[in-house]
Formats: sequence, C-alpha cells, structure tokens
Amino acid sequence: MRPLRWFGVLFLILILAAAACAPGAAPTAAPTGPAAPASPTAAPATPAGGAPIRIGAPFNLTGGMASIDVPAANGARLAAEEINAAGGVLGRPIELLIRDTKTDPATAATVVTQLIEQDKVVAVIGFNDSDYVLAAGPICQRAGVPFITVGATSPRLPGQVGDMLFLAPFGDNVQAAVGAEFAFEKFGKTAYLLWDKGAEYTTVLAKYFKERFTELGGTIVLEDTYQSGDKDFSAQIAKVKALPQQPAFYYISALPDDVGTIVKQFRNAGINGPIVGGDGYDTPLLLQVAGPAAENVFFTTHSLLTADSPNERVRKFVAAYKQKYGTEPEAVFAALGYDTVYVLAEAIRRAGSTDGQAIKKALESIRDFPAVTGVINYSPQSHIPQKGVTVIEVKGGKFTLAAERVPQKVPAP
Amino acid sequence: MHAVGSLEFWIQQMINALGLGSQYALMAVGLAMVFAVMRLINFAHGTVMMGGAYIGLLLLQRGLPFPLVAAGTILGAAALGVLMERIAYRPIRGAPDVALFLNSFAVAVFLENIAVLLFSPRSRPFPMPALLTQVFHPWGDLFIPSIHLWAFGGALLALGGLAFFVTRTRIGLAMRAAAENPTAAQLMGIEVGKVTLLAFAIGSAMAGLAVLFWVAHIGTVQPGMGFEPVLKAFVACVIGGFGTIPGAVLGGYLLGALEIFLQGLLPSAVVGYRDALVYAVLIFLLLVRPGGVLGHGEAERI
Amino acid sequence: MEKRSGSEMKAISVRQGWLWLGRGLGGLLLLGLYLVIERGGNAYLQRLSVLFLINLMLVVSLNLFTGFTGVFSLGHIGFMALGAYTSAILTLPVTAKAANLPDLPAPLASVALPFLPALLLGGLFAALVAGLIGIPILRLSGHFVAVATLGFLIITRVVLINAEAFTRGTRTFAGVPPYTTLSWAALWAALNVYIAWRLKHSTLGLQILAARDDPWGAQGVGVAIGRVRLIAFGISAFFTGVAGGLWAHFLTAFSPNAFYFSKTFEIIVMMIVGGMGSITGSIVGTLLVMSVTELLRNLEPGVTVGTFSIGPLYGLSQIGLAVLLIFLTAFRRQGLLGDREFRLEALIERTEDWIREFRVPWKASSVREADPFMRR
Repeated sequence: MRPLRWFGVLFLILILAAAACAPGAAPTAAPTGPAAPASPTAAPATPAGGAPIRIGAPFNLTGGMASIDVPAANGARLAAEEINAAGGVLGRPIELLIRDTKTDPATAATVVTQLIEQDKVVAVIGFNDSDYVLAAGPICQRAGVPFITVGATSPRLPGQVGDMLFLAPFGDNVQAAVGAEFAFEKFGKTAYLLWDKGAEYTTVLAKYFKERFTELGGTIVLEDTYQSGDKDFSAQIAKVKALPQQPAFYYISALPDDVGTIVKQFRNAGINGPIVGGDGYDTPLLLQVAGPAAENVFFTTHSLLTADSPNERVRKFVAAYKQKYGTEPEAVFAALGYDTVYVLAEAIRRAGSTDGQAIKKALESIRDFPAVTGVINYSPQSHIPQKGVTVIEVKGGKFTLAAERVPQKVPAP
Repeated sequence: MHAVGSLEFWIQQMINALGLGSQYALMAVGLAMVFAVMRLINFAHGTVMMGGAYIGLLLLQRGLPFPLVAAGTILGAAALGVLMERIAYRPIRGAPDVALFLNSFAVAVFLENIAVLLFSPRSRPFPMPALLTQVFHPWGDLFIPSIHLWAFGGALLALGGLAFFVTRTRIGLAMRAAAENPTAAQLMGIEVGKVTLLAFAIGSAMAGLAVLFWVAHIGTVQPGMGFEPVLKAFVACVIGGFGTIPGAVLGGYLLGALEIFLQGLLPSAVVGYRDALVYAVLIFLLLVRPGGVLGHGEAERI
Repeated sequence: MEKRSGSEMKAISVRQGWLWLGRGLGGLLLLGLYLVIERGGNAYLQRLSVLFLINLMLVVSLNLFTGFTGVFSLGHIGFMALGAYTSAILTLPVTAKAANLPDLPAPLASVALPFLPALLLGGLFAALVAGLIGIPILRLSGHFVAVATLGFLIITRVVLINAEAFTRGTRTFAGVPPYTTLSWAALWAALNVYIAWRLKHSTLGLQILAARDDPWGAQGVGVAIGRVRLIAFGISAFFTGVAGGLWAHFLTAFSPNAFYFSKTFEIIVMMIVGGMGSITGSIVGTLLVMSVTELLRNLEPGVTVGTFSIGPLYGLSQIGLAVLLIFLTAFRRQGLLGDREFRLEALIERTEDWIREFRVPWKASSVREADPFMRR
C-alpha cells in the first residue's frame, strides 16, 4: 500500500498546485496576477502616496453564501482599484482587506475582531445576510468603526446594531411594497405566494409583500414554501394548477441561484401568467437558465444593470466588471459591493480623516450620491438609503425598464 | 382546471413522484453498490455527481455535440469515482465503518472546495438540448416534463442492465459474492480489490447519469450541488434497506412519492415541516424495520 | 482490539510529592495563561479562547457519548441548537421579546432570567430531548444510530425554522445579551472536562467502556447497555446544550443555519484528531484543529515570499482540514491519543525512569526489561 499512499500525497499536492495557479479561479483572479491589489506588498498601480487607508471587507467567500458574496467582494475590489487608479482618497490609496468568513457567524465575528484589532481598519464593509451582519455588527459598534453592509436588506438592522451601521441597499420592506403596489395595479387583486423558507432574505421579502398586498385589498389565493436546496418544484406547481382559478400573478421570493430553475419549471408546466419577484432575480442566470420562459417576469431591483443602459455609470461598471472578471455581474450584489466602496470613499473624503465618528458623520451627510444602484441618501435618522426602486420586465430575452417608483406606503420594519 | 384531490391532481402528482423517484433511485443505486462491497457510506457520492457535471460543462463549452457531452459526464464521473477509491479509500480498506464514512465526508469537503477554487462558487447555466427539456401536455391540464420520462427510462435501462450484470455475468456474481462475504470470496479466488474498483466505477457512472437528468431539471451547476442529492440518496438507501440494489431503487421511489405527496397535500401552515416528517418516517422505519422495507426482518439490536 | 482503557489503572508507584508538584505547576500554568489572555487586552485572542473553550465542551461532550460508547452521533449539533435557542429565549430582555418575538406564549414572554439558570435550563432541555429520542434509537445498532441522529439533526433544523413564534424562523435571532465571558466559558469547560474525566473512571464509565469493547460480555456480567448508553447520551446532551447557550450569548445573533452540517463536521474532526474516547485527546484535538484552521485562514488572503506570491486561496482552511482528516485515517486511525489519556502520573513515571536510566547508564534497558524486579 505504501507507494499508493505516496501517490495520493503527490496527487493532493498536484491538485492544490493546480488550484493555486488556476486562472479565473479564486474570486480574485486579477488578470495582472494573483496578488490582490489590496495586499500590502503588491505595488498598487496608483500615483497615490502615503500609508494606505485600510478597509475591512469580510465576506462569505466559501460555503452556502458564496455564490452571493463572491460577486459582492468582486465589485468592491473593482471599485477600490478604480479609486486607487484615480489617485486614492485624501492622497492615500485604499487597501481593501478581503477576508473569507466561511458562511459561519462565529468566524465572521472573529475575523471582524481581527480586522479591527490587528489590522486597524478604519471602516468595515461586507456581508449580504443579516446573520453575519448581526454577528459582526456589535463588534464594530463597540469599537466605533463604521460598518456598511453590502447586501443585507432587513430594515431592522440599524435598530438592532446601533448607529455605526449603514445599509448600502434599500430595505426589503421598500422593494416588497413597490412589488406589491406595482403588481396590484398592473395585474390585479389575486396573487399566489411562494417563498424559500430556508433563507432570511426570501422570508422577509415574502412577509412584507404579503403585508402590503393584503393592505391594498389583494388576496393571496395560495401560499406555499420550499426549502433552500430543493430543486424540484413539481409538487408546488401541481398545487397551483389545481387552483379553481389562476391568480392574477405569481409572487415568488427566491435566491439568485434558484430563480432560473423555478421560472423554468413553472413555465414548462404551462403557467404563463406574470411572475413577480425581488432583487434576487437580478442575475443573468434568470435569462440563461429559463431562456424564453423568462418572458413576462417582473422584479423589483436597484437599477437596470445592462451593458446598454442609458445610465453611463451603469454601462461603465458593467464593462469594467466584465473586463476584470470575464463575466457580467453575476448578481446585483456585485453592483452593491462596488457602490459601497465608492460611498465609503466619498465619506472619508468628506470627513477629511479616517476617524470612525468623523466617517459616520460624513456618511450621514451624504445626499443624492450617484451610485450604480441608484441615488443614495443617508441621514442621521436613516441609515438605510432612501432610493427609488426599479421594476424590470423581461421582454424579448432582455431586462427592460418597466417602472421606477417610490412606494406609497412602506410596511413597518 | 382541476381541484386538489381530484383524479387529475393525483395523476399529476403520481407522474411527478415517478419522475423525482427515478432520479433518486439512480442516485441511490451508486451509493448502495459501494456500500455493499466495502461497507462505506460514500458521502462523496454527491461530489462525484458535481464533478461529472463540471466535466460535462467543460466539454459543452468546447462545443462538443450533446451525446459526447453526456458520455463525457458519465465517464468522467466514473473516472472520478475510481480515482477516489484508489487514493482515499483503498489505503484504509478494512477500517471501521465510521472511519470510512468520515473519510468520505472529508473527501467531499475537499473536492467541493477544490471546485470552488477552480470554477468559483457561482452557479453556471448548463444548457440542455430541447429533447431533455421539452414538456408534453397529454390531455387536460396534465403535463409531463420529458425529463421525467428520460429519468424513468434511464433508470429502467440502467437498473435493468445492472440487474443483468450482477445476476448473469461472472464478474457481477463475483461482486455479489464479495459483498456477501469478502473473506470467503477472496478464498474462492475473487479479487476483492478489483471488484471494489468496479463497483466504484459502475456506481459513479450511475451518478453521472443521474446528474445529467438532475442538471437538465434544474438548469445550473454549482460546487455545492452534490450535497442535497447525496442526502436524498442516503435516505432512499436507508428506507429500502442499506446495501441492496432493489432496496435502493424502491427507496428512491418511496422517497420521491413521500416528498411529492407531503408537499402536495399538507396545508400551507405546516408544509414547512415536510422534511421533518420525511426524516421522522425514516427514524420510525429504522425502529420497526431496521433492515429497510425490503430487509429481512430484524436487524441486529442490543 | 488492543484498546486500553484508562480503567486499566496500575498501582501508582510515584512519589505523591511529585504528583502534587506537577498538579500545582499545571494549575499555575493554566491560571497564568488565563490571566494573560483575560488581562492581555488582545480581543482577537480572547475571542479565539472563548471559542476554543466552547468547542472544547462540544468535543468533550460528543466524545463522552461517541468515544465512550462507540456509537456515532451525528446529531449533537442539534442539542447545541436546542441549548442555544432555549437559553437565548430565556435571557432575552422583555422589551426585546415584545419587539422580536411577539407571538411568544405568555409565561415565556414576560420573564428574562439571569444567565446561569438560563444555561442550566437550556442544557436540561437538551438532555430531556436526548432522553426522549434516546430511549428508542439507542437500542439500534451502531450504523443505524448514526443515521437516526442525522435525522434528528435535520428535524431539529426544520422545527427551528418553522417554530417562528419561538425562534423567528430563518430570520436572525438577535439581541441576545452578551453574557458569555472568558471566565464563564473557562468555568464550564473545566466542569465539563472534570465530569467527563470522573465519569470515565467511575463504575458507570467502566460499564460504558465494557459495553463498547465487548457488548455480549458486558451484557453477560449484567450491564444494561441501553441504560448506560442513555445516561451517557443525556449527560453529553446536557453539556452540549450548555455549550450552545454559551455560544449563543457569545455571538448574540444566530439562525438555524449555524447549527448544521459544517459545525457537525468541524466538531467530529476535532474529536477524531484527538482520539475517540480520550478526554485529554479532545483538548489536544480541539487545540490543533483550531490552530491549523486559524493559521490557514490567515494565509488565505495570500502570502508573498520575496518575489513569489501565492493566493488568495479562499477555502484553504477547509481543504487543509479535510486533508488532515484523510491522512489521519490513513496513517493514525485512532487519532493522536487513541482512547488513552495523557496522565500526569505517566509523565512523572517516565521522568523517573529517565532519571534512573541516567543514574545507571551501564544497565542496558533491555536487561532491565527482562529483570522482574525492575519492571512495573
């Protein structure tokens, strides 16, 4: 058996080596070389001098959250590089310390502690799920380090963590309200509601949608759930088909990885009515997986992120992302990560220092900041940006703008 | 339109259950074969599926025609299974069951993270030919996704072939002998090592076939995609009685039916408990028929 | 099977003085370490230490069942979840309950217990559930217990997700008071290790070990295997539940997703590395696995040596751990310590031997081996 074992060792080493050198592998595959531009030793291609401004960027780059967090981390890295190429902030380059927290809240808390204590970061950005924001948030709060979450959308977060926490996206209650109002007006008073019970985002979104929709006078004719990881929806579909009368539309709250699969299976079964969803639908997977079946799908999101968008900022972002990572932004979280770094850089610039309180104050003073995902407004009262919500329709195999709205009434967080 | 509880609803759910059950059966058979020859609950079985899917995707991106992609997926999965046996399991053959099981868990974690490094964790679309994705509407409101038919037919063919192989061919009989009593088999001149390798190859090829249908059904591949299937396969095996091929097949269909009908019939307030009920049934079965539905009576107890 | 249990105690020929000196030194060392970490002001190290102690409790408790009985439990993290949620619901301030858990039944909604009773109740609840499920499933043979406990883990998760009145479902359970300090964790971990140690060397412990090594023989001498297994299961679940409570009040926010397969895997690896059935092994295993993980994790963002740079390689720590486990099963299946214990007595004995050998250099050790008067 001995030689076999050595063969095994050799094989493992080979695989590891292959993985290490694989191009396009790790979330960071920069075309210039594997060293992250943020790492202290890699010479930043920037005219900016002075000690770098360190920003902690914990994300779940492996594990269950990875497919959502990796695009966000990529977007953040892209923004940091652009800012550094343009001269940095306060004459100093930004150093983004991207760390993997392994979809584990304990690791998230440890990593953030380490970033604050050892790496002396001036601010923290990251995470797309409340579990991790709430595990790491109190640590930032206690240390007086501003923390902007890239994609966690629960509107309760600032109340739960404290005044150092900011959200980059709008709250789920806002987009759910717009979804409900838009669909109520456009499609009618009856809806089918399906949501993923295994994830917080989908649960919260479905609850706010239901609240606003019934408040408007709508009826949920059938409510059903599934579990993250379920890939077969035929039982749910049979239940829909057994309804005496089909609802005016179908609200399906799903994670980006599942939307394509769900839409495809619903359409295949002959359910052709409008399907409405949240910003989880904002992924190329919807079109790639569902194909023509994705027609007549509507979803609320931050902005229309297409390469031919009328918004120049969006076009620039999509092009830069594609050039750097070889793929279109995988999900809207990429744009949110990108915006988060820009808005933070703007705050540091305004604060004129890297002091936590000063950055926090500067963030609160940000008004009408033009970002890829809409216009960002913060205030001392609201650390959740007041943004308009974009409704997108899939038409002719493309994402097209259906409406840009502000909700008439937002469900209480 | 038909109402819940109408004949049409039942027929529809029956079709769904058969389709899903066929997929589970294909996944479970590989697991059962490996268990039979080396008493290993191969948790990395799902990772083999994932690996096969990525191999298929790479071939597809090279522009190969679909039959070649399918063959590549199946062969790739088989090759991965063989490699796995050679590298990770052969050195520890004869170790306690638990050590083997944990080792397979480690292999799964290892391969999944390697896949994350190689392919990034994002889901990738896996476009399938229309042959696999079209849907038939035979009459009324009934619909039959062709993937259900494919899975059913595929399961039937593969399992039939397997049945022929293990009951009619020399090497198949040797495999069964090795599963029954490795020591005696060895004494009779059966090369247990070779037989084990073959079991891995065939079981993994089945996983490759299963993943083809699975991917056609869901449309994407992702490094973590093997986790749910292996859990389902595992449950199917336990339900049917571990280590027997007919048991795995029956378990797969029973699990598919259980899931579909619980999801279809539970009221929305409690439908979230579906998986809890599935596993409660599993534990109950373990208590009353530890040998599975097909098992022969009482298993060892203390 | 040449399993040597700790029960095989030899007459101790060491001078008691040495022993007490050793114990005193060890105690002082631990105390010093504790003070350095506690007062040192390195929050990162403190966090890791608390996590280490909580993980240690999880590993020792799992070992207390799995290592001692030889029956594998894949469901222990379910007990951790029960302890975490129970204690967190009990300590959550009443105002926070009104805001976060509006549907909580009356008696629970109006109380907020102090930390210790909440922890104990969390542990007891876990033990109670363990008793209820243990009665039927522990009568199954090894493989099937593993399957049944796996089912328990999944059922626990589904129930936690669906019992929204108590748990908020998948939404994060937040606002738990941060009661867990290094001292709390250290006290509980010490208690856990002590009780596990006493149990292993008690009559009950001997019965459990006997039932593991020779079930028929043990039954023959009157050991009720089901009963002793159940007791081990209950105690183990109790401490796992307490560890869950400590974890909950340490992180202050969590959801059912935290208590699932990855945590299960992590704890099992720690136990296997240390050795199944060895309590000191659990300490070694937990320490080693956590150090390796943390070390590799710190390498993940990339390292640069001169002009050569690697990385970033996110996922390296998981890969490292998996490789460690694969190699361990191939080369040292019984873990680092097997089911033996690291004992002070043995260390002192060895030191004495060494000193003696030093004094009598001309006596070949083989001769001494053969001399019945020199052997112990």
